Amino acid sequence: MYPTALCQMNNPGTPPPKAHWRPFHTIFLAMKLTALLLLVACLQVSAHGYTQQITFSMRNATVEKVLREIERQTGYTFWYNNELLQKTEKISIRLQDASLEDALKKCLENQPLGYTIVDRTIVLSPAPLPSEEIKGRITTSTGDPIAGVSVQIKGTKKGVTTNANGEFTIEGTRDNVLVFSYVGYETQEIRVGDQKSIVLTLVEAKKTLTDLVVVGYGKQSRRSLTSSISTVTGEDMNKGAITDVGQLLQGKVPGLNITANGDPNQTSAVILRGASTINSSQSPFYVIDGVPGVDISLIAPADIVSIDVMKDAAATAIYGNRASNGVIMVTTRRGKKGEMQVSYSGYVGLEKVSNNLKVMNATQLRAFLAKNGEAFSPTDDKGANTNWQKAIEKNEALSQSHNIAFSGGTEHSDYIASLNYAYKDGILESSSLKRVIARLAIDQSAINDKVKLGLNVTYSNSDAKDVPYRTVTLLQSALYLPVSPVKNADGSYFEDFTNANYYNPVAMTNNSTLDTKYNNLVGNFTGQVKLPFDLTYNMDLSYQSYSTNQGQYLDSYFTDNYTNMYDNPNPGLSGHSQQIFGSGGQATRSSYTNTSTLFEDYLTWDKHFGAHAINVVAGYSWQDFTNGDGFTVTTANFPVDNISYNNLSLSNPYALSSFQVNFGADGLYSQSRLISDFGRITYNYNEKYLLQGSIRRDGSSVFGADHQWGYFPSVGAGWRISQEKFMQGQHLFSDLKLRGSYGVTGNATGFSAYTAQSISGSLGTYYYDGITTAALGATQQANPSLQWEKTATADIGLDFTLLHGRFGGSVDVYNKNTTGMIYRYTVDPILVPAGYITANGGSMNNKGVELSLNATPISNSAFRWISSLNLAHNINKITSLTNPLFTGGDSVVAADPEGAGQSGSTLEILKAGRPLGQFFSLEYAGKNASGVSQYISSTGALTTTPNQGVDYHYLGNAQPKLLLGWSNNFRYKNFDLNIFVRGTFGNKVFNATRADLFRPSTAQYTNILVDAAGESTKDYNSYLYSSRFIENGSYLRFDNATLGYTLRKLGPYVHSVKFYVTGNNLFVITGYKGIDPEINQGGLAPGVDYNNFYPKTRTFLFGANVSF
Amino acid sequence: MKKVLNYIILPGLLAGVLCSCHKLNVPITSELTPSVFPQDSAQFIQAEGPVYVALRGSYGVEYFFEQTLSTDEEILPARGGNWFNGAENQQMHYHTWNSGNGYQSSMWSWCSTIIGQATQEIAILNEDEPNSTASKLTSIAEIRTVRAFAYFIMMDMFGSLPIDTAYGNFTPQPNVPRAQVASFIESEVKACLPNLSTVVGQSTYGRATKYTAYALLAKLYLNDEYYSGTGRYNDCIAACDSVINSGQYSLTSVGTWLQQFYPTNGPQCTEFIFAIPEDPNFSEGPFSFRGTNLHSRYDVPRSEVAKFSLKFTPSAPESTIPSYYAYFWDPNDIRNQEWLSGLQYLNDGVTPVTVTTTNLGYNQFYTGSDPSGSYTYQVNLTPDVILRQDTASFDCGNDEIAWNMGYRCIKFYPDASSSSNRQNNDIPVFRYSDILLMKAEAILRGGTPTLGQTALSLANQLRAQRTSSPAWTNITLDSVYNERCREFVEESWHRNDMIRYGKYEGAWGFKTDADPNHRIFPIPFSALQLNPKLTQNPGY
Repeated sequence: MYPTALCQMNNPGTPPPKAHWRPFHTIFLAMKLTALLLLVACLQVSAHGYTQQITFSMRNATVEKVLREIERQTGYTFWYNNELLQKTEKISIRLQDASLEDALKKCLENQPLGYTIVDRTIVLSPAPLPSEEIKGRITTSTGDPIAGVSVQIKGTKKGVTTNANGEFTIEGTRDNVLVFSYVGYETQEIRVGDQKSIVLTLVEAKKTLTDLVVVGYGKQSRRSLTSSISTVTGEDMNKGAITDVGQLLQGKVPGLNITANGDPNQTSAVILRGASTINSSQSPFYVIDGVPGVDISLIAPADIVSIDVMKDAAATAIYGNRASNGVIMVTTRRGKKGEMQVSYSGYVGLEKVSNNLKVMNATQLRAFLAKNGEAFSPTDDKGANTNWQKAIEKNEALSQSHNIAFSGGTEHSDYIASLNYAYKDGILESSSLKRVIARLAIDQSAINDKVKLGLNVTYSNSDAKDVPYRTVTLLQSALYLPVSPVKNADGSYFEDFTNANYYNPVAMTNNSTLDTKYNNLVGNFTGQVKLPFDLTYNMDLSYQSYSTNQGQYLDSYFTDNYTNMYDNPNPGLSGHSQQIFGSGGQATRSSYTNTSTLFEDYLTWDKHFGAHAINVVAGYSWQDFTNGDGFTVTTANFPVDNISYNNLSLSNPYALSSFQVNFGADGLYSQSRLISDFGRITYNYNEKYLLQGSIRRDGSSVFGADHQWGYFPSVGAGWRISQEKFMQGQHLFSDLKLRGSYGVTGNATGFSAYTAQSISGSLGTYYYDGITTAALGATQQANPSLQWEKTATADIGLDFTLLHGRFGGSVDVYNKNTTGMIYRYTVDPILVPAGYITANGGSMNNKGVELSLNATPISNSAFRWISSLNLAHNINKITSLTNPLFTGGDSVVAADPEGAGQSGSTLEILKAGRPLGQFFSLEYAGKNASGVSQYISSTGALTTTPNQGVDYHYLGNAQPKLLLGWSNNFRYKNFDLNIFVRGTFGNKVFNATRADLFRPSTAQYTNILVDAAGESTKDYNSYLYSSRFIENGSYLRFDNATLGYTLRKLGPYVHSVKFYVTGNNLFVITGYKGIDPEINQGGLAPGVDYNNFYPKTRTFLFGANVSF
Repeated sequence: MKKVLNYIILPGLLAGVLCSCHKLNVPITSELTPSVFPQDSAQFIQAEGPVYVALRGSYGVEYFFEQTLSTDEEILPARGGNWFNGAENQQMHYHTWNSGNGYQSSMWSWCSTIIGQATQEIAILNEDEPNSTASKLTSIAEIRTVRAFAYFIMMDMFGSLPIDTAYGNFTPQPNVPRAQVASFIESEVKACLPNLSTVVGQSTYGRATKYTAYALLAKLYLNDEYYSGTGRYNDCIAACDSVINSGQYSLTSVGTWLQQFYPTNGPQCTEFIFAIPEDPNFSEGPFSFRGTNLHSRYDVPRSEVAKFSLKFTPSAPESTIPSYYAYFWDPNDIRNQEWLSGLQYLNDGVTPVTVTTTNLGYNQFYTGSDPSGSYTYQVNLTPDVILRQDTASFDCGNDEIAWNMGYRCIKFYPDASSSSNRQNNDIPVFRYSDILLMKAEAILRGGTPTLGQTALSLANQLRAQRTSSPAWTNITLDSVYNERCREFVEESWHRNDMIRYGKYEGAWGFKTDADPNHRIFPIPFSALQLNPKLTQNPGY
């Protein structure tokens, strides 16, 4: 359709204009009519059954003259392009009571004209060319056929895909343009012309600068981006027995710091460009197929096509309200038009513990004690030589995953259905994860493809098994004496309860159960309507439901022997706490559901005129959340142990004098709402000068009544230097772009939905008139001025492609400032008895540089090598920790591992001017003359009796100076080999595990490290948390090697089969003395190796991808 | 046209409707907001509770350590590094504490929380119950008295304090001189007196009554010479007389004396004027307090789990010092039975408590030929605490000899009924015997005898219920002090007594420090951070 290419005919008084269009003065009317026509076209309304009778006769008349006559007789109006009539021949015609249709047919016979009747207007158009069969074959540069290439007639939805031999057949006319597209290859267009057979070689897409990038509420070509977005495609993601999306991306994106351990049930910690806040919300925000805030465990790795990581505020500000920590956009597989395709991918993997703590065995420990004139207690020394770490581990863990998908489509619809089953055995006894994900996505176009509807439903069910008090079990497995057996001669578990806080870890594991089932459902309904004036309306309705159903059973052995045990929590602000169990077995059931409903709609105006291109998006978003809808109950005293947590009715808690049924934590249920208006405008001049601005106005119910709304603007600009005239002569750069952006994003998460309100709750129980009465009081002070936490990011970047795509990369420099950081500020309890108030206050800064490079050093038909490297450097600093309302402290101590004899020793401090993860502890100064470890006191003197807190020093921090990821891909004929190395450098790790196992003075009660053999039992200080146990955490991990072999053309039914073997975590180069230097870098107390580290594993995996 | 409706107009309308929705307010249906709580008298009772939970907070454990480990009553040395805890217990013994000592910060924040909680509750009651009903006035008077008590113990520990009584004012206040704090406490208590309950028994047990207020005033006046330089001994006597005259309290006889500290104690104890009820099942809620009685955990040797039928293994690092145990010289005194000393027997009195270990396990300094040879012995608690392993690190060593060092007080008798180390024994704050001894002491310090009672008659009235030895024939301030040592062991008054008697600068155990500045603890570092207007106490 040519909106301005129409003219009205029955206006003979107007002289023909210079332009080809006549008459041209009624542009207004034309526009109106255009709108009308478009609308009508959209609606596919056609005219039928004209009854008008036409009678006239002409000889050798121009078509124009004939048409005027028809107009005159019928009252219909003709619309056409003048150029059209110039190509017509004169005609002779004779009509008698002819219908309009007959008349038109006769008069346009043998003319290159067609027509459409719309209402009372007849639109003339060039006559359709005869359709013919076009055949072709598509290959790669190496000559291999490519199956599944989309071949489409430009400007229509008509298309086919190539078969296994890369061949296609399509009906088209000579003036059609065919568009060939295939993921990972440059899209090409070819005008059919006289060609009856097209042979085409697709060129692999030059990475980074060509493809479409998913941005919020739309897509943009990477070429015209002004913001910093890294894209990882499915092929580039880490391979292995991975059930967690974080691990798929580990090392792949510069600036994304991901730490994971071997726990199948724990998601990895993901920090983008340094932590933005000290409130608990540090993870990026996930948007899956346009649905914001989806739980990432819902997506099977095999279903992911690409992941776009939006890093700067210009990219993320469109998700203003939750985008402070960056946004990760996940795009999943969709169906393709054409024949139904079936694909299977699966693997079987074998994991083994990669490293254990080197604690002493029985012989070593016995020798150590003898050397120091000590001996085991006969209660402990049963002559055994037990490796307690091995005793709670499996020899190997088996993982498997199977993904089967079928997809296809017709001209107006496509669909994909997939089913994923994954089972990941944990390397610790009784830990595993089983997950089933089913997914269905359908898209349907209607009304001449003007309306597009889609439904995407994903359901996942996970069954996680774990060990209750696993962290205690791990601690016990390190320090339990090797001379004691797992079991006594009579088959009962060995225990020695005279030794305080000392429990047989195997008995702990085998006498307890912890099962958690997660159900996750996302239903997403989308609608898109193409409107006149290049407008598109999009609408999204989605519903998410996440429910957990957990059961924990501590059997009677566990409850009766281990009551009063201390737990061993992960690093944070608080230390351990005593666990008191009801006797006769204790069961806990909990079931909670979180739901959220989302409505979003937006209007897009995409307009190109000449060298100018404008894209405007304006939208609205409404999201409602209900969280923590459910209950917990803990009861005790069961007649038998084998009913576990499955039948709480059989418990008899009332018989226990000092046990009370427990209903879990207070205040889990909450409702909240987010409402936003947003808009974005992008302008690009000739793909040379790029501008973008966006604004989002967000409201959240969690803030104080007068502070609910926040504004989050962003601007970005880009200059494609390579498009400039002065660059035309050079051959070095094929693309060079400089871009800069600034924007503000907000955070409304990481704290309770009712934080701004005054809330009373349980403050314990007390004696009132003989009865234990609930004491209810303000657990939370109202803070009506609670408002948005804001993060402003400035980013300057340079993207470049050299040597025709052989070499490319980008550099980004950023400065990220968080202000009004929402945090639980400690306040004087004499003013606020709760002792804290959640308020806006402190601020945090991150500055950094990111570099990513990719190169194709060798590429020929037989061999290709692609190498990509990314590096990131970030400096994090807490710039303030005070709140304007309360003059309170400027620092908070964190990480209190509470190793034996070290209660109250904290390892880290949050303090203005210092980074998150600042170690603050004793400074070790060797040993004194009598062999006792000494430390530097606050006054600089040496002391063997240092004071907690007072004699602490700043001792380096947990934040890495450099993150590195280096991937190499080699292809030789049908073989491909991928080798991936990643590393972290310049960070320190507080090896508290080592300190706790470095205690020679108690070696007759608890085991010590082999490394501690040289210590003297007289050194009562040797184990104190100090700089002695702060180690360099740098490492380089040979993370992944995958060798694949692809077989193609395996007959009519199987398109291709790829087999591969993968090795994960093959080796680590590090000076770190603990199990593994990859210690959690998230949270408030990063970089602390607490005696509870889930062992990392080495995996060997065999997989196959088959497409039918 | 139907399709048109379905695909364009309806979504359009829906969008239009929803776009106009910018209502953010979500009703709170699952929390106690001010509009729903507290509203009636039953709810007011629950709303008064937090101040009592807060008071219970550190009373039984950390407050006990603060008041006791800094005296000759108890010592808590390290055992092979265990219990060293950053030298905090060592500092308490040597009087070398500083503003970083953990006990100081927990004491300051505990007292501040009670005060803040009380102030908040008074504000809530005043707001939600505008009418001055008698029950409301009583409730407020009770809470204010508890607040005054918290100010009293905080003042006793830290001297000058900030006075914050205006709720909702977040401006930190500077600390005012101790005398001013004392007079503030006096005026507060006096203001509460008219509205406090005179009922004694279960219905008011564990809460502040009129007699609690008088007992508090008596303590304040008895120490006034030290607090503000004025001796107010007649005021002390008058306050004691108000308790005595009520006739609500009586001394427990010899036969039931021990039982009043047993896990079963409670409102039936006729000596208890004000007590902290303890129960293993009480919950502290989100308060970071222990709110419990843990005496067995610290005092009962782990070899005696069976003797006391404990459900947990105590670690028992704490014991008394021989110079304190010396007060218990009278063989006829029932209070001797509060101690574990010498050879240990099961409760049948015949079967020895034995432990089997190795030669080395028994004595870590064993140098014989068979360190791992089995060694069985009868537990024998020895009076002296010797820092055998290391003096600098305050360490007795980690062997049986070390674990049996020092005599142990089991006044709060181990609770066999508890499934944890938390005991059910309530802890008295003010007892009737204290009233009698305070009055006796006030008379000896220059007050005027009343009600026909003399210092000697008062002391003998008490002693008649404690010992079968003959009554005293004369009395001195020192003999009252000695009696107090016997009577109030483990009741957290000893530091207060020592200071009043000028004995806090003495030498005991390993301590030689005599700096009178140490009568007042340093304001903890954590408090100075939270309130920059505080001025540190002299000498720190």
